[in-house]
Amino acid sequence: MNIIEIKELSHMFSNGTLALDNIDLSVKQGEFIVIAGPNGSGKTTLLRHLNGLLFPTGGIVLVDGVSVSEDPVRARRIVGMVFQDSDTQIIGETVCEDVAFGPENLCLDRKEIEQRISDVLRITGLTCLADAKPHLLSGGEKRRLAIAGVLAMKPEVLAFDEPFSNLDHPGTKQVLKQIIELHKRGRTIIITTHDLEKVIAHANRLIIMTDGKIARAGSPEQIISDTEMFGIKEPYFSRMGLGMISWLS
Amino acid sequence: MAELTSFSYRPGISLIHKIDARFKLLFIVIIGLSSLEASPSGVLLLFLFVVYGLARIGISLWQVARDLSFFIFFLAFVFAIRAFSAGGAVFINIFGMSLTYDGLIEGSLVCLRIVLMILLGLLFTSTTRTAEVKAAIDWILRPLPFISGGRVSTMTGLMMRFIPVILEQARETASAQKARSIENRKNPIYRMVKFSVPLIERIFYNAGRISMAMEARCYSDIRTGQKLSSKINDWISLLVIISICIISVLYL
Repeated sequence: MNIIEIKELSHMFSNGTLALDNIDLSVKQGEFIVIAGPNGSGKTTLLRHLNGLLFPTGGIVLVDGVSVSEDPVRARRIVGMVFQDSDTQIIGETVCEDVAFGPENLCLDRKEIEQRISDVLRITGLTCLADAKPHLLSGGEKRRLAIAGVLAMKPEVLAFDEPFSNLDHPGTKQVLKQIIELHKRGRTIIITTHDLEKVIAHANRLIIMTDGKIARAGSPEQIISDTEMFGIKEPYFSRMGLGMISWLS
Repeated sequence: MAELTSFSYRPGISLIHKIDARFKLLFIVIIGLSSLEASPSGVLLLFLFVVYGLARIGISLWQVARDLSFFIFFLAFVFAIRAFSAGGAVFINIFGMSLTYDGLIEGSLVCLRIVLMILLGLLFTSTTRTAEVKAAIDWILRPLPFISGGRVSTMTGLMMRFIPVILEQARETASAQKARSIENRKNPIYRMVKFSVPLIERIFYNAGRISMAMEARCYSDIRTGQKLSSKINDWISLLVIISICIISVLYL
């Protein structure tokens, strides 16, 4: 079943820049998709159409069969978005408060909110930091808090915009483990990145974007060797002909 | 790791932390009004009371003074205006202007009142969660027609939440400019423009990103709010505050 369907999607910014040009894409429930491309290729713009932060200037985006333009709030409940910069995603004064922000917006009762906070803090390993100030967390912890904040809204799809940017080695490992765990629990995962090395071994599908278009789409094994021609570094294990090796191994 | 300023919430279990946010807002109003009516020694009593409160929750006055260092110019300006404009016995003549004894006292009193209100605000923001502030403002504004309590409270809450972030950005911008020898430029207007333009641009850029992140998490005016309830400690604190204010206004 397709949880997301994108048909002939185009987006032109007010300054005349064509950010997305006739994109067709479907995402099946439970898939793990990596969208790769150089800076300015349209990855983030595409992601922002999935939960109604941007609306198409041409074409349509359907989330669970309903147009995002018609019901963006529904789309935001189904597709949770984790932004590249965690600092601007964190709203609460404490870790706990930040996780509560989404469920409070869904007008859930206090008991249900407390339950969700407790659950997602356990899943993301942040229980011991429940009363900590978000701005004093490490980069990896902040990113996990951003994930927790989205998870508390129980979305079916998680869209990550450059989840490993500005993270040190331990932070990257923590976040990658988290994403893999969420996929194992049945969540649909969509990740944009220009750094394939870290995540591609876990993906079902790789999509390469350039100049607002999908240049290649298919299984990672089939198209990973084409990445260099689109300005994306081919992972070391692929160049050495070692097959797909998890960055965590 | 970000270095926080004093003006941010500090989780804690002190009595001040536990007081209902509506009472805290009332305390600010009562103390603020009392400071306008009180004599210099009365204002000093209120000032010491607030300083004691800050010490109780573990805020370093040295850190506060450092964070407010930029504010000293404003205080000096207010003091100078007051000190030179008041009548009375002359203390000293500077460039043909008379600095009077009454002016010195009046200038000091005004500055003390301003600092008192800043410290009260600091005590409030340090001990009150944004969610509680939002709920309190919503409760206060609810009876008023034509005003969306939910919207005003959210705006206030966000402002409180992001003041430390803006101060942090101001500090970063200043440091980046110092690293490129801005101090060699002696023209204060040039320096002010070069400092404020990128800072304001950055604040607006971040504000846009924050609003997008809030939208992505289904933010709206209608949402589950924080429950507020007054307890016996709140009423006792109110009595204590009123007593201190009466002493400062009537007996000092």
